[in-house]
Amino acid sequence: MGEVELSCLAYVKMYLHGCLFPRCSVNGLLLSSSPAGGTVCVTDCVPLLHSHLPLAPITQLALTQVDVWCAQTQQRIVGYYQANACVSDNSPTPCALKIADKIAEQCNNAVLLMIDGGKMSPDYRVPPIVMYERKDTRWTLKDKHTIMLRQWEETREIASQLLDSGDHSLLVDFDSHLDDITRDWTNQKLNAKIAELSSPANGNV
Amino acid sequence: MASVSEMYDVTWEEMRDKLRKWREDNHRNSEQIVDVGEELINEHASKLGDDIWIIYEQVMIAALDCSRDDLAWTCLQELKKQFPGSQRVKRLAGMRLEALEKYEDASKQYDSILQDDPTNTAARKRKISILKAQGKSAEAIRELNEYLEHYGKAAFCLEELMMTNPHNHLYCEQYAEVKYTQGGLENLELSRKYFAQALKLNNGNMRALFGLYMSASHIAASPKVNATVKKANVKYAAWATNQINRAYQLAGRGTKENKCSVKAVEEMLESMQITMS
Repeated sequence: MGEVELSCLAYVKMYLHGCLFPRCSVNGLLLSSSPAGGTVCVTDCVPLLHSHLPLAPITQLALTQVDVWCAQTQQRIVGYYQANACVSDNSPTPCALKIADKIAEQCNNAVLLMIDGGKMSPDYRVPPIVMYERKDTRWTLKDKHTIMLRQWEETREIASQLLDSGDHSLLVDFDSHLDDITRDWTNQKLNAKIAELSSPANGNV
Repeated sequence: MASVSEMYDVTWEEMRDKLRKWREDNHRNSEQIVDVGEELINEHASKLGDDIWIIYEQVMIAALDCSRDDLAWTCLQELKKQFPGSQRVKRLAGMRLEALEKYEDASKQYDSILQDDPTNTAARKRKISILKAQGKSAEAIRELNEYLEHYGKAAFCLEELMMTNPHNHLYCEQYAEVKYTQGGLENLELSRKYFAQALKLNNGNMRALFGLYMSASHIAASPKVNATVKKANVKYAAWATNQINRAYQLAGRGTKENKCSVKAVEEMLESMQITMS
């Protein structure tokens, strides 16, 4: 089907989210600031939970709040990501499918992204992600060649650097926000750090 | 490298108290626990008295998380010397084997605990974790079902936990979330009550506050409730909205960084008010 482009910012934050909570399943939403139609450009992501993923209230709350924020900032929710606690199994859980279905109701080329925990070490040569798209009513595996990650080497380098410097702990997901509401789940601080590290040639997608 | 006490200008007592706080709050901030705990153990062991044993346990588990097997091993040896034959220490030994991915050995360790004490739920749960880690989901589920037969379903488990820990607002709140997820008017009303109870136990619990708001709003919006119930729930939701707004106003002061999240909440609350009336 369609092509999907994943920005450095979105990838790095997803990756760091998984690294921050290595023992837990984590999930989040994929956002786009580009208009609908054509290639799906995932330009940002919002990390959501690292506990009790299948429980409804906080997920509903988060979806609603992110919706509102997107409207305020001209973004759209275009997908969902999840990294399972058990690294040997990266298939979408029923909860992942449910949330992805909900997103697909509003965005017809929504993507479901599973992070492959077993392939996350910094020296891995390909992005540890598996993407699904909706064909008829089922989520099917996307052809790897329709997924683009510009400047993968740089992106991977940035993620590594942030891990090494301990800056990954700057990442705030919705769960952490609820533990301390002065923490910002839109991650402005971390975004700035990532922008700093991106070389001028990269551009900020 | 500078020591923790030098970097943060803290005394050993403060470090010890921090570790206790993390234990009580069940924080799994393993890197910090290792940093603070290792220094306490190396420099101040003699001053810690009997606290040292529980600190060894806490640091050991954190060390496993950070792949610090050297530290984990040291802690384990101290505990083994002090508490020979202890089930609790045996379980820690099992956890270390799990961390080293020696799953067969770990499983045998837990089996030996269960032989002496078949009701040891911690050991049973660790065996299930091993199956999960090995990707043997079907077997894990079978074992879990056996284990849960003693306890019924998730809600029942939490009910047990709440009975034995009536002051624990987290169990209360989790139970409310499970009920909310199960859905249906009766469960929603139950969830609202438990969110309210969690708030009584800890009025800073934001999840409970949002939960109260959402459950009350859904009940008020339901066509199946009569006018009295609707009115009451509108009131609960309005109260919750107020509390949420106040909390966010307070949080929004002084820090520029969370302005976005504060604005999002304000708008969300406004828009949901409209759908309720």
